Amino acid sequence: MEGSRVETSSAAAETPVVISVENIRKSYGSFEVLRGISTEIREKDVTCIVGPSGGGKSTFIRTLNGLEPINEGRIRILDYTLPGRRKETEQLRRSVGMVFQSFNLFMHLTVRENITLGPTAALKVSRDEANARAERLLDRVGIGNQVDKYPGQLSGGQQQRVAIARALAMEPKIMLFDEPTSALDPEMVKEVLEVIRDLAASGMTMLVVTHEMGFAREVAHRVFFMADGVLSVDADPETFFASPKDERHAAFLSKVL
Amino acid sequence: MNFEIQHLVNNYPLILQGLLVTLRICAVSLAIGTVLGLVACFMKLEGRGWPYRFAVAYIDFFRTIPEVVLIFWVYSCLPLLFSFRLTAEASGILALSLFASAYLAEIFRAGINSASRGQVQAALALGIPVRVIWMRIIMPPAIRRMMPALVSFLSELIKATSLLSAIGVAEMAYQASVLGSKTFAYVEFLSAIAVLYFVTIFPLSLYVRRANQKLAGKAGH
Amino acid sequence: MFALEEQVEEKRSPWGLVAVMATLALIGVAAWKYVNWQLLASLDFSVVWDYRLALAKGLMVTLYLTAIAGLCGLTAGTVLAALSQSRLALVRWVVVAYVELFRNTPILVQLIWIHFALPVFTGWNTTALQSGTIAIALQASAYFSEIVRGGIESVPKGQWEAAYALGLPARTTWGRVILPPALKSMIPALVNLTISFFKATSILSVLQVSELMTITNRISNAVYKPIELFTAAAVIYFVLGYILSQLTLRLERAAK
Repeated sequence: MEGSRVETSSAAAETPVVISVENIRKSYGSFEVLRGISTEIREKDVTCIVGPSGGGKSTFIRTLNGLEPINEGRIRILDYTLPGRRKETEQLRRSVGMVFQSFNLFMHLTVRENITLGPTAALKVSRDEANARAERLLDRVGIGNQVDKYPGQLSGGQQQRVAIARALAMEPKIMLFDEPTSALDPEMVKEVLEVIRDLAASGMTMLVVTHEMGFAREVAHRVFFMADGVLSVDADPETFFASPKDERHAAFLSKVL
Repeated sequence: MNFEIQHLVNNYPLILQGLLVTLRICAVSLAIGTVLGLVACFMKLEGRGWPYRFAVAYIDFFRTIPEVVLIFWVYSCLPLLFSFRLTAEASGILALSLFASAYLAEIFRAGINSASRGQVQAALALGIPVRVIWMRIIMPPAIRRMMPALVSFLSELIKATSLLSAIGVAEMAYQASVLGSKTFAYVEFLSAIAVLYFVTIFPLSLYVRRANQKLAGKAGH
Repeated sequence: MFALEEQVEEKRSPWGLVAVMATLALIGVAAWKYVNWQLLASLDFSVVWDYRLALAKGLMVTLYLTAIAGLCGLTAGTVLAALSQSRLALVRWVVVAYVELFRNTPILVQLIWIHFALPVFTGWNTTALQSGTIAIALQASAYFSEIVRGGIESVPKGQWEAAYALGLPARTTWGRVILPPALKSMIPALVNLTISFFKATSILSVLQVSELMTITNRISNAVYKPIELFTAAAVIYFVLGYILSQLTLRLERAAK
């Protein structure tokens, strides 16, 4: 696989590599979801992963923080290695934020508690400091007035912004987004993408699984194409959307553009 | 017939004493049953291996055999099998604890299984320690969701204590039948304890109905 | 269940298993010390075979009582459930009072009450079996009506409205529109309830109604072999109950 890897087109090629994925494989029973994936991500890279449903995009991004154990290969991320020991995986997850398609907010906790739980329980940040972080982050994602509500009282777009604030409260070095707008009503997609765009502009290292091609074209430094468990295209947005590399890629582009 | 209230007036302390014994047996069986039930529940949650198999067999067995059979078995067989003596009340409590543990294990398991997989994953993704995930993410909603089943089981347990009268435990039903046979005022005493059972259990049933409606309402929207 | 550890690429810690094993071993050792080996060696289960006919007769009575619970429960319970939807508040209240009374008191108390009060109130002296049959039928009707009521309430409002809009007579509305889907949705609950009445029949042994538990008690008292006989009874109840509940599970899964 090493030899066949697509040459990266990182925007900031000089920054250090923060994620390196070495030939990872993953199966559910006899079905192989990831069939040997290798790549490197550099600091401040904003990478969008696109491709047909069932191609392994979500599984791939979830292997990066150990939510999906891999069967073969190795992942180096920051100073950690996967597969690894439980304590280290826990440490890793504290430095890598994740935002889910279905928000996965803690429905029995208030917005404030959702955001402060991680810092207080995992990072031993003081309650005051955690509260201050929560308020600052909620202001940043534009819902500073909803601190003491329960997630059930918020719209989908607001919930997803809380989920982003929750991940950011851990002050992560890398953010993973797993289809962050797929479960949203169309009118709420924009407000969430806005927040992610701001985050990208701030220099955060990010991987985003998405179906929003406009967003990918505008924000990404690199675009990955994944189908049938293979990462077959890795290109800068212009190249990616202008010149398809193979038939699958072309077929996909003709459907979504 | 004439309902001779005088018998009740003369003997009500014994009946109330019986009620206390009934409640005491319930409390102790519930406590022991909770501990055993938690162990069985977590063994079954393993999902494989021999602790899992043992827990499945244990739970199925004690949920399937009638309480009366269990009570008689513990009362008349255990002391023979093992060379120690148990009072009637102790064997009754042991039998009801085994009965309770099997039912409680399933209630706990259902509650824990109802925890949202997505929320657990979100907590894992934040690197929150597993112990904190149990305490803050899994247990609070699980407990809220299993309350109706727990309270409903408590009322079953209160009703089941009456079966201990068959082995001579001095709980409420036993007191009533003893007083009945002494005075031939069966109907009076049985009616009195029926009322007491009803007054104890009906509020629990009301709670269960309300709570279930509330949960259903929540699931609805 | 999502074992939390399943998410991490590490073999889970063996300490929980060790703790459980140690506890079981400790209990085992303690039990071992106290076991009455002499008695254990002298256990003779052939007594169960010797009394097989009596036990079989007891089991027949148990099954008869279970059938009564199921049949009376379903029919009377359906009637009660239908009445609980009545437009007359008085009818609704009487039904609620009846159902709650039987659901919130122990069957043992109901049983003895019926056995002693019925002759007093009606002058009709019932045998233990008659009292038992009446008690179990009354209680079953209360419990079954709750399930049927739940089933009826699970039928969408639109079905009622459609039936009213067509001007269907009440009998047709119930018999053709409401009950068929309602009954279908509650079959697993009905079978489960019947199984719990199968267990509950053993309570009638306090009145000596010659069902399986009474017979077991009698033989055990006569030959003084309680361990053999009570174990046999437990096994019989378990095997039958287990088969029934597994069948229901299959049924439920097949329905899904």
